Amino acid sequence: MTTLDWFVMVAAIIAIPSFGLWRGRGGKTTSHYLLAGKTMPWYAMGLSIMATQASAITFIATTGQAYVDGMRFVQFYFGLPIAMVILCTTAVPIFHKAGVYTAYEYLERRFDAKTRALSGIIFLIERGAAVGIALYAPAIVMSVILGWNDRVTALIIGIICVLYTTMGGIPAVTWTDVLQMIIIFAGLILALITVISLMPHGVSFTDAVYLAGAVGKLNAIDTKFDPDNRYNLWSGLLGGTFLMLGYFGGDQSQVQRYLTGKSVEQSKLSMLFNAVAKVPMQFFILFVGAMVFVFYLFAQPPMLFEKTAMKAIQTQPGYSAVQNEFDAAWQKREKAAEALNAARKRDEPGNLQAATEAYRAAQRGIEGARKSGVALYEKTQGHAGFNDTNYIFLSFVTRYFPAGVIGLVIAVILNAAMSSSSGELNSLAAVSVMDLYRRFWQPDGSDRHYLMVSRMSTAVWGAWAVVFAQYAKNRGSLVEAINQVGSFFYPLLLGVFILAFFFKNVRGSAAFWGMLAGEAAIVACALFTPIAYLWYNVIGAFVVVVAGLLFSLVGNEPPAVIHPAKAA
Amino acid sequence: MKFTLPPEAYDAEPPPVLRTWRNVYIFVLGWLALLIAVFYAFTRYFA
Repeated sequence: MTTLDWFVMVAAIIAIPSFGLWRGRGGKTTSHYLLAGKTMPWYAMGLSIMATQASAITFIATTGQAYVDGMRFVQFYFGLPIAMVILCTTAVPIFHKAGVYTAYEYLERRFDAKTRALSGIIFLIERGAAVGIALYAPAIVMSVILGWNDRVTALIIGIICVLYTTMGGIPAVTWTDVLQMIIIFAGLILALITVISLMPHGVSFTDAVYLAGAVGKLNAIDTKFDPDNRYNLWSGLLGGTFLMLGYFGGDQSQVQRYLTGKSVEQSKLSMLFNAVAKVPMQFFILFVGAMVFVFYLFAQPPMLFEKTAMKAIQTQPGYSAVQNEFDAAWQKREKAAEALNAARKRDEPGNLQAATEAYRAAQRGIEGARKSGVALYEKTQGHAGFNDTNYIFLSFVTRYFPAGVIGLVIAVILNAAMSSSSGELNSLAAVSVMDLYRRFWQPDGSDRHYLMVSRMSTAVWGAWAVVFAQYAKNRGSLVEAINQVGSFFYPLLLGVFILAFFFKNVRGSAAFWGMLAGEAAIVACALFTPIAYLWYNVIGAFVVVVAGLLFSLVGNEPPAVIHPAKAA
Repeated sequence: MKFTLPPEAYDAEPPPVLRTWRNVYIFVLGWLALLIAVFYAFTRYFA
């Protein structure tokens, strides 16, 4: 990195949270700290929701995923607009008008204290794990680029993030998110322009798109129904809708965003802004990854993108043979890509078919050679499961991007990490304080006391996130790891909110035991079936609802009385 | 078991555009359908 890169990166990291703290200044109450005093406009909430969801992982892992697996991951987000519309007619007005701090507070008004506590604890487990992984992602950036220690990097990012979140609360988090999303959009556009401008002479944008598509890297839609396939149109529309309903309807890190709105109308607009913008944004990020793949058709990539893994195998017997195999496979693919590009431009159908087949065979060849390298590394380490997807984009950026742009891309990734982590930390503090501490330990404290405890709780969760981040290494593609963890818990939250919103005869104990039955069903699916994890969201929520309805038939609890003053 | 939508769920304020919230929801879902159709055409064309 040049001095210019350092300047851009440090300026962005310091200036953006400072702007957030300044813009969100003023309030000294718990309501201001956790809900911004309900003063936020729709565009700030909308960008903040987007920023909280788009972590550094989105940029690091998603681009790498497109390089390896193509663009089919975009289907994962197809459920989001559907979920947003459903939530705009249910959760948004219900939570808003209930005047709650957290989504789980509403569950006590509707059911009972144990259902509120269980939901809150589920959220703390899931989000507590995710915030650690989100902090680890930028540590990868630094370990690849600067050779910094992963742990030190996670600690530094964590401290900056905890400082402005603890000091400013959700107003600072939201306004910081707004600026961070603007920088992120700018960085993404610049990244795509740079990738395309780096293509060799004779390879136009259309050629690049064609070459990516010929080996299945532009496979955005897969219409074949297969429950074992993680990403297809049906798992995206059905499983994705259920996952997003659980995430935006039952995850406090998102609910808290739209609870800060000036009005129900403003909160709905913020959700619908996401519904319109999120899928194109993910498509765009994946497309950048596909273009990186095309770039490496004409510039030799490393056999393994993780530098430490490459160093580890270079001293091993058999390395030369594997590297030679990879070099030869890459040269063969480069020639095949050039031949296909030339055949396409000459517009000769016969030659085009043959050139396409040769190009696809060469792609299979280089994938096989890379697998040999991976196998050699796994043999040295003594365990399987190596995955360097998260290093692909960063390795490319630092090697080929011009000065200044590298700094901006790194700033984008670090800002994304901080924006998602800060929102999560604030919501973890809200649930810890409002749903557990105030409800079960200290119900009679002053507002000043709860504000102080909220700040302390934010700092404690920040410390936890940094510690958890140390164990996130070698978890495969990080974005998948987070979504997999979510699919074990979100269905329970979704199921219990479906019972709360739509089935007014269901009582607290029935909902509580329904949630436990749902978790048992998900664990059984994970242990004993090959079903892809996105479907856990459908199965888990379905079991919670059905079991809740059945338990309510056999139970004799009195009907719940929904009253705003019942809960703390 | 009776399935009911809570009273809070009914819209009180109109949206700033498209006159009703129903129209806004139809627009959002139509946008999703359009994106899927475009992505499908994109996938087929370049495969």
